[in-house]
Amino acid sequence: MKAFSNYHPAVEAVYFISVLLFAMFVQNPVIELSALVGGILFCCVILKSSEAAGNIGFYVPMFFLTAITNPLFSHNGVTPLFFLNGNPVTLEAFVCGIFTAVMVIAVMLWFRCYSEIMTSDKFLYLFGRTMPKLSLVLSMTLRFIPMFKRQMHRVSRAQKTMGLYSSKSFLDRIKSALRVFSAMIAWSIENSMETSASMKARGYGLKGRTNFSMFRFYAEDIILLSVCTVLSGITVSGIFMGKTTFYYYPKITELNLSLYSIFVYTAFCILSFLPFIIEVKERIKWKYYISKI
Amino acid sequence: MEILHIENLSFRYPKADKNAIENINLSVNSGEFVAVCGESGCGKTTLLKMIKKELSPEGEKSGKIFYKNISQNDLDDRKSASEIGYVMQDPDSQTVTDKVWHELAFGLENLGVPAEVIRRRTGEMASYFGIHNWFRKKTDELSGGQKQLLNLAAVMVMQPKILILDEPTSRLDPIAASDFISTLQKLNRELGLTIIIAEHRLEEIFPIADKVLVMDSGKVLLCDAPKNIGKELRKISETHPMLLGLPSAVRIFNSLSIPDECPLTVKEGRDFLERHFVFKETLAKEYVHNEKTAVELKNVWFRYEKDLPDILRGTSLKIYEGEFYCILGGNGTGKTTTLNVISGLNKAYRGKVFINGISIKEYKGNSLYRRLLACLPQDPQTVFIKDNVFKDLCELLKAMDIPKSERNEKITAIAERTGITHLLEKHPYDLSGGEQQKCALAKILLSEPRILLLDEPTKGLDACSKHTLGELLSELKRGGLTIIMVTHDVEFAAENADRCALFFDGEILSEDIPEKFFSENNFYTTAANRMARGLWKNAVTCEQVIRRCLENGGET
Repeated sequence: MKAFSNYHPAVEAVYFISVLLFAMFVQNPVIELSALVGGILFCCVILKSSEAAGNIGFYVPMFFLTAITNPLFSHNGVTPLFFLNGNPVTLEAFVCGIFTAVMVIAVMLWFRCYSEIMTSDKFLYLFGRTMPKLSLVLSMTLRFIPMFKRQMHRVSRAQKTMGLYSSKSFLDRIKSALRVFSAMIAWSIENSMETSASMKARGYGLKGRTNFSMFRFYAEDIILLSVCTVLSGITVSGIFMGKTTFYYYPKITELNLSLYSIFVYTAFCILSFLPFIIEVKERIKWKYYISKI
Repeated sequence: MEILHIENLSFRYPKADKNAIENINLSVNSGEFVAVCGESGCGKTTLLKMIKKELSPEGEKSGKIFYKNISQNDLDDRKSASEIGYVMQDPDSQTVTDKVWHELAFGLENLGVPAEVIRRRTGEMASYFGIHNWFRKKTDELSGGQKQLLNLAAVMVMQPKILILDEPTSRLDPIAASDFISTLQKLNRELGLTIIIAEHRLEEIFPIADKVLVMDSGKVLLCDAPKNIGKELRKISETHPMLLGLPSAVRIFNSLSIPDECPLTVKEGRDFLERHFVFKETLAKEYVHNEKTAVELKNVWFRYEKDLPDILRGTSLKIYEGEFYCILGGNGTGKTTTLNVISGLNKAYRGKVFINGISIKEYKGNSLYRRLLACLPQDPQTVFIKDNVFKDLCELLKAMDIPKSERNEKITAIAERTGITHLLEKHPYDLSGGEQQKCALAKILLSEPRILLLDEPTKGLDACSKHTLGELLSELKRGGLTIIMVTHDVEFAAENADRCALFFDGEILSEDIPEKFFSENNFYTTAANRMARGLWKNAVTCEQVIRRCLENGGET
């Protein structure tokens, strides 16, 4: 159930970069809040429910910690709420803390979604074109790591049944791990010799290597890309026209609620809810299909 | 049309004192299936590598190799890469990339084929090999058989004219191996692909090969049609080690000197036996065993993780002291898991395990592995941690707190017993599969176990190494050692085990002495038994069938 992850990696990358940039650098409560809500909704639909539940335990305390830290250390602002050790705790610092926390959590959530959607092969595809050698090396590394881990596990188990290093002493265990590791280096060299023979046998090193990938550009990708560009364009125009300008200090500015700024907020709101909308639409569509069948 | 021609080819590795291959002449026609066989270290791999220009080893070379009448030196790199395909032994290390589709595309990328053509050709290949179901998977998640099939497909996608395979099935279980071989047969028959394959598994290769090349210490001993090989080999020497490696039908035919056509398959073998012999009832011998149990499992349940299904479902078994017990069964039925439960690597969550009558939980720290129980893992490479065999053996004695003065003596003794004296100074990775197995066994025997666990010890061994291993194990058994072996190799089990057990779906289905065990199985039995079962019920090994034949006095 990941409709969003089926889009072309380039489109996904453009999307994530624009949302993250706005969330990080536009200081405006409406933008930050919609980024947060969009991030939460996105996480809810793409993460497993058990993982999502576990995340609450991390993000909620994180939110309060960030929110509280600001007013304790920053004493700017003109509206003192109360005094702590002779220092004023101001309303402005308090509000600023809350929205900083909103921003931090939103960015973290978006990065979490990013890592779920932009898997290694998509990353490789995007950067492989500019750096073909690097992309092959990365692909080979990704192949090698699990193999190395598995062999290491096997070696240490084999050593254990021979009664080597299964004693409880800490020093002994360190020593055993080191020895297993040194054996693993010999194994890796041996293994890579064969891999390089296999590469040579299949013509690696001939001139004019091409790069193949499984991704194709479909009409949906173009639609999503244009929607994303238009919405980002509106947001950028709002930023440059000063429609989203907002200050916490010295006194909280009033939120600009002109027609155009509402238009800008709506645009960004749609932008950050886009993946959620796509996922939900897909699910509804499926339900509809199944009921028809 | 002649596609490959080799003329007086000799090769010597740097610093070696004799040639690895000597004076080889070979001519292969387009569409031929050539099987290359011979003992480990006879120069098969060297010969195969020399045919593939890119893999040709460094050293002194003389003689000529022609591909389609073009000398190898003049052969275009691009042509050589795509038209001569090479598949190696280890399924893991020859895979280059992390995704199945990328692995398939790798060769074509190297050749500079445009992306659209790559898409079409990989798709076509994937459908032909039935890879489409796991096309988008990671290469690491595949089974051994799937990996090897992928390696084959990744070569085939480059559209080779000759396919060279160096023991491609030696790391696979028998079912995956026969699947792989039938895929090769399909390629040969349907596409007219020329195949040159080095193999130990002659039982399946013999019937489909057009030509068999037998090598011995770097020279071509024989090059003939499969049905003549047995006869010719016997002419050269009555006790040639390769005779043991021939298919059961050929071996039985060979020992009987009946003038007839040589049978190659089980079907032909059965026809042959039924033509010349008549049915006779025979009695199996009674099995006598020690009363003391060495290992006992009582209703053992095991799973790897909380959410995963049970692997062992109430396994119970009893193994007597001094017994050679063999656990057979398909892949993923829990054979190795059972072995690991006995060795204490896996802990049962329900049920009891007794070693020498004492619960396994009572053995603290290393005590289980000191002079009591030892386990030889499937991959002997995992046993070695030093850069030469002698140091490696020393390491174990050091861990056992044996004083330095006694170490040399012990190592010399064990090396002589296992026949590895000449290997002590070598690096473990430079040894052949059979030699590695022997060195690993020597290391394990140094801990003086009373119970020895073996996990597929015959995997990848040639017939001769298997024979030596069998003899070594029976000698150890005579010394009172209890041996528990997990294997796919029905022939080896039939020849060596005292009792065999069939493992299925997490429990033991049946167990008995090999004669009864195999004669009651219809499919899961030796080739010799499948041939002779209509005539003598309890004949399961080639020797037993031959003996019965001789007792019955040949022709009727």
